[in-house]
Amino acid sequence: MTISSDPKQVKQICFDNINVPDMNTLAVAQKHGAYAFLSTVLKEFNPSKIIDEMKTSGLRGRGGAGFPTGLKWSFVPRNTGKPTYLLCNADEGEPGTFKDRDIMRFDPHLLIEGMIMAGFALDVKDAYIYVRGEFVHEVNVMNAAIKEAYAANLLGENILGSDYSMNLTVHRGAGAYVCGEETALIESLEGKPGRPRFKPPFPAIEGFYGCPTVVNNVETLATVPAILELGGDWHAAIGIPNNAGCKIFSVSGHVNKPGNYEVPMGTSLKTLIEDYCGGLQHGTVPKVIIPGGSSTPWLLGEHYDTPLTYDDLMKAGSFLGSGAIIVMDETADLVAFTRRLTHFYAHESCGQCTPCREGTGWLERVITRVENGQGTQEDVTVLGDAATHMAGRTICALAEGAAAPVLSLLKHFPEDVQACLGENA
Amino acid sequence: MSADAVYSQEARFSDERLSEIAELVKRYPGAQSALMPVLYMAQEDFGYISMDAQKMIAEVLGLRLMKVREVVTFYTMFKEQPTGKYLLEVCTNAGCMLNGANELVAHMCETLGIKQGETTADGLFTIAEVECAGACAGAPVVQVNNTYHEKVTAADMDALITKVRDGGAA
Amino acid sequence: MTSLFINDQEVEVAAGTSILEACRENGVDVPYFCYHPELSVAANCRMCLVEVEGWPKPAASCCTPVGEGMKVVTQTPGLEKDREMMMEYLLIHHPLDCPVCDQGGSCKLQDYTVEHGASKGRYSEPKRAVVNYELGPFVNTCMTRCIHCTRCVRFADEVAGTGDIGVLNRSDHMTIAGIVEEALESELSGNLPDICPVGALLDKPSHDVSRPWEMTRHQSTCTQCPNGCDIQIESRDDEVMRIQPVENSPEPWICDRGRYVYDAFRSEHRILAPKVRENGALVSVDWDDAFTKASELLKGKRVGILFSPDWSVEGQASIRLMRDTLFPDAHVAYDLHRRDMRPFAFEEGFSMTTAQIADSDQVVVLGSDLRQRLPLLMQRLRKRGLAGKPVSRIGAMNYRTNMDVTNDALIRPRDWPAVIAFAMEQVSALGKTAAGFDAWIAAVADRHEAGKILADALMADSCALLVGEEIRSHDDAAALINGLDLLMRACGHAEKDNDGRNLIPEGMNTQVLSSIYGDVRVSAGELFASASAGELDALILVGSDPIGDGLFPAAAKAALEKVPLIQVAAVSGQISKYAAVQLPAAAYAEIEGTFVNMEGRIRVATNPIKSLGQERPLWKVMMRMIQVMGGEVPAVNLTELRALACQSVPVLGGVCDGADRDAVMVAPARNKGLVTYPNAQKSKFNLDVVSRYSMYREGAWVRASEALTEAGKIHALGDVIVHPDTLIAHGLSEGENKVSSFLGESLYHIAVREDVSPGVLFVSKRGVAGDLSDVTEASISGGAV
Ligand SMILES: Cc1cc2nc3c(=O)[nH]c(=O)nc-3n(C[C@H](O)[C@H](O)[C@H](O)COP(=O)(O)O)c2cc1C
Ligand code: SF4
Ligand code: FES
Repeated sequence: MTISSDPKQVKQICFDNINVPDMNTLAVAQKHGAYAFLSTVLKEFNPSKIIDEMKTSGLRGRGGAGFPTGLKWSFVPRNTGKPTYLLCNADEGEPGTFKDRDIMRFDPHLLIEGMIMAGFALDVKDAYIYVRGEFVHEVNVMNAAIKEAYAANLLGENILGSDYSMNLTVHRGAGAYVCGEETALIESLEGKPGRPRFKPPFPAIEGFYGCPTVVNNVETLATVPAILELGGDWHAAIGIPNNAGCKIFSVSGHVNKPGNYEVPMGTSLKTLIEDYCGGLQHGTVPKVIIPGGSSTPWLLGEHYDTPLTYDDLMKAGSFLGSGAIIVMDETADLVAFTRRLTHFYAHESCGQCTPCREGTGWLERVITRVENGQGTQEDVTVLGDAATHMAGRTICALAEGAAAPVLSLLKHFPEDVQACLGENA
Repeated sequence: MSADAVYSQEARFSDERLSEIAELVKRYPGAQSALMPVLYMAQEDFGYISMDAQKMIAEVLGLRLMKVREVVTFYTMFKEQPTGKYLLEVCTNAGCMLNGANELVAHMCETLGIKQGETTADGLFTIAEVECAGACAGAPVVQVNNTYHEKVTAADMDALITKVRDGGAA
Repeated sequence: MTSLFINDQEVEVAAGTSILEACRENGVDVPYFCYHPELSVAANCRMCLVEVEGWPKPAASCCTPVGEGMKVVTQTPGLEKDREMMMEYLLIHHPLDCPVCDQGGSCKLQDYTVEHGASKGRYSEPKRAVVNYELGPFVNTCMTRCIHCTRCVRFADEVAGTGDIGVLNRSDHMTIAGIVEEALESELSGNLPDICPVGALLDKPSHDVSRPWEMTRHQSTCTQCPNGCDIQIESRDDEVMRIQPVENSPEPWICDRGRYVYDAFRSEHRILAPKVRENGALVSVDWDDAFTKASELLKGKRVGILFSPDWSVEGQASIRLMRDTLFPDAHVAYDLHRRDMRPFAFEEGFSMTTAQIADSDQVVVLGSDLRQRLPLLMQRLRKRGLAGKPVSRIGAMNYRTNMDVTNDALIRPRDWPAVIAFAMEQVSALGKTAAGFDAWIAAVADRHEAGKILADALMADSCALLVGEEIRSHDDAAALINGLDLLMRACGHAEKDNDGRNLIPEGMNTQVLSSIYGDVRVSAGELFASASAGELDALILVGSDPIGDGLFPAAAKAALEKVPLIQVAAVSGQISKYAAVQLPAAAYAEIEGTFVNMEGRIRVATNPIKSLGQERPLWKVMMRMIQVMGGEVPAVNLTELRALACQSVPVLGGVCDGADRDAVMVAPARNKGLVTYPNAQKSKFNLDVVSRYSMYREGAWVRASEALTEAGKIHALGDVIVHPDTLIAHGLSEGENKVSSFLGESLYHIAVREDVSPGVLFVSKRGVAGDLSDVTEASISGGAV
């Protein structure tokens, strides 16, 4: 590990070596500290110590829900007589999110190392990385890295001479956003359509093939090596309490330098956009900021100073989500933008829950009509009703995400909607 | 037990493929997990996944045909119909839309004289609007047969089309 | 147990129960579409939302387990609005065709629209277009009405085990689709229209002929197989329009055979008037003339009686009374599949309920095509299999089950002694033995390793043995069953509360029949042989059709060519061409009566539909026959008749007097202390013949049903089938070949299937191969006859 052991000095964790040329090869990765601490973990740590460290670290899942990782791991029952599985969620489908891709294509060994450590803590024999189908290049890079890792006895039987053995397999999705939802991911990995399962049972108890299963995001797992090497306390001291560590934010939209930026939690939106992303394309204050991927409610210019933490963003009325920040300046056509997102959710609904299956298509059709100047006042009521009663009444959170843009538009920009209604208003 | 499959000779995996599949199946707790990778193999080998191929796959993996159909029809990347030699998939979702993706699609449609979702008469190009490609920093993003092209301009697309039409590879 | 509050009422339910089930158990109404008590939970309709105190969002009650002290509310303005919206979502693509929809009147969507729906839908966009699909002779589809609850998909996966219905596409393009070649591959397909909560899957035979509100309903018992399911018969103007399962009865489903046989009730095959043969043709006469003619043929004659087991108990008792009064020396037969009439250590009937079988640690099926014979027991085993519990099987064919059988062994019928002897040795080695083992083992020269499957299963704490037709109809059945009985005793499965010995009977009322007829019973084969040998002057056949069914068609033909036939029946069958006199008896839908199923469960049917013609309940025909022939009539009404029947079967009395019918079971007969050792085998021919049973063809009622006959064509296999190796061993190939047996030589088209045991010749009773059912052995060769 080449990261500073002084938490005050830490600027980034997962991206520490992201710009190192050829970091995807084992030789270069090892030169930069990859796997250096693995043998210590496998030989000197025991699983419960690792889980305690993870709990102390305060790391919260980076996939969207922000659930404390150590706690999630501690739910996995031991000695059930069934195998435990570790699944890495690299589906990265949330519009605006593109961070896991960079970890995989530039520093695949970091993810592999994190998975071995997590697998060791959870007594996993078989682990899988579920990568969205479009990431062909990333799949190839991951597979090449895994091949090297096997050859170096970092994977497979008795890793580095320890008692621990683990297999790692990359599995390609095939174009279904909902497969990022952890239970849909499990279904998909079982060779079925990716339709989420209701909970309970939770995957930790009954997941992949009915066995205890942990699903973690790429970024979450890539953070594990630093935590184990430098300690849970070290990680907890980065960022701010209850929002520990660094987070990669994928910034897109109307900024001059869109991209992934890993910053300590608590950095403000404004700092991120102005200091890292080169500011807005037009104007000085954004019109809309979507802070956690397209499924999260919108923030407005007035929230520009909000610190990027789970808690502060929630206080502001949204979520940190996957850390995908979509920025829109005054040139944005919000009705058209919302219409495009309703199309996305209508296309991606798995179809099982009534309100999501029927509601997403309904929203799209109505708002399209509104955008085309054929909407009525009743349509506006319908949009509100149809979106409200989808959210929180379905098996998974996709429907909630589908409702979010529509409800945000109606709430914050009713005049934009009214302006479209034209003569039918 | 699989459905009583009857399929033509074209939709047959080679022996190498079959042994590859046998290895693949071992990586999972159940053979059905191998279905998606095997569907990709079929798409690679046959260009698209015909009903015959689906029956053959059901038999190879010991699944009911319905299980295969359910998966083929659920995922957008499995194609039951042939597409053009070059599949041009333009992301028009949030980040790309805010950075000119709609205009790019309009330009491509005009240049190729087809609508989105269609294939050119020479069978070379298919245009498809797709959902967020997970590369929004490079908006607008176009995938050309699984290869990402980022910050694509109308001129870039024109160049690619001309190159292919002149017999080059994309 | 968990206690919780539902609408402020404290209730207790088993831990792990869902909120929805807790509500149902306590009479609280929660609307739902996708939930079904017999299927896995899908939780997709989102109609069953309830509020739980302290929870931020409404919860789907079907998939939320109860928690201690939980406070659930099922009615709030918020929930009303949610339900109204769910209905609106569901109806946006639903056609407004209730007036022409068969489901109208029993449609959940319609009911809930009235209860929870908004007055007017606000969807003004185009409705989606959906295609229908072909599912065979019993199920129609109208997929625009589908609400995607996936009940049918779960049914196909979990109950039928066929997986031929699935979910294609996603989002609002999602469709429910079937992939079938000619028809659903399930013998339970008729349940699909029942479980579809809307009018998307419809009953084809009753399609467009009736509306639910026009019907009168009465409960009865299906007599189409020994399972004797409770059925509800729906009729309009005394015409049966539909047969359905009965809610809360032991089986939630009924099979297609029991459901669709009703078209036979009004078919041309019904005998609706008394008839006598004149100048070679049957002509209708009045009852008196018919009886006079019967009397002429029977009076003072040596008579043999054969009847079918599916009459009501009262009917059966009346046949016995007729015999005792008029023909006290007559032999009686009722089973067309039993060759060996020596007493069995355990006689036909189940010692376990089907629920107990499903629950036991091990289940072993010996020589039975369970899916065809007892489709509902099969579905229980399938469910058991899904739960990961083992089902093993030994027999002459890997009969299709739609489930993964845990252990499967193919053997020839002649291997049974070797299988049992091997199992005996295996359990002995593990310290389990019974008096008689050694002598039994010593009587068998060979060993067959399939016995290991049996022995392994027997080592479990509980083991249900399902002994099927391949053993029951074996020449040496008494010995085989004795061997199995010894094994079960040795392993502790023959005790009072842990008795796993179940011999699958041919038809209904078995337990009762062995009590009523034990002393006068002979094999049907023997009866025909006596007639052919000139030892009988006439045959009375009551409902039985030994040419169409059973193992003695050739013998029956020979007998009927020799002596006159008095046929008493509801449906004519293949023997009618021999009948000198036909006396019509009422069908099972048309009578009051008592029925006992293979488990010993007693059901009393009441409130029947009216007879179509002049037919009368069987007991009345019998009493009248006694009267006409000058006997003393022993009973003048059903009550008196029942009282007489209860003399042989006392437990029946209680139920007729109102005792809890589910608490009383009629036990099957046991013959303790028998020792029957296997006979030395003396085979003249090298192949064993096994007669195949088809639920779509067996039984006179079924053959009279057009709907089932149609289905039978779809599900048919070849007439004569063997394993490919059997042909190879004889140097033959598929096609016309010569079959030799003690009946002589004939040419048959021989087809091959991988799933039959080498060394076995399977014959289907239909068509040309029917007569081969009479033989147990045959050989094949090439060349002409
Ligand atoms: C519709 C939907 C899509 C999701 N997509 C992703 C995804 O692409 N990647 C991801 O890591 N998590 C995604 N999630 C969140 C996962 O369900 C899950 O919370 C996460 O993988 C857990 O990992 P973590 O604890 O490491 O964050 C999605 C959730 C929903 C409801
Ligand atoms: S909310 Fe939508 S995507 Fe999620 S399970 Fe339900 S139908 Fe599928
Ligand atoms: S009954 Fe609960 S969601 Fe359908």
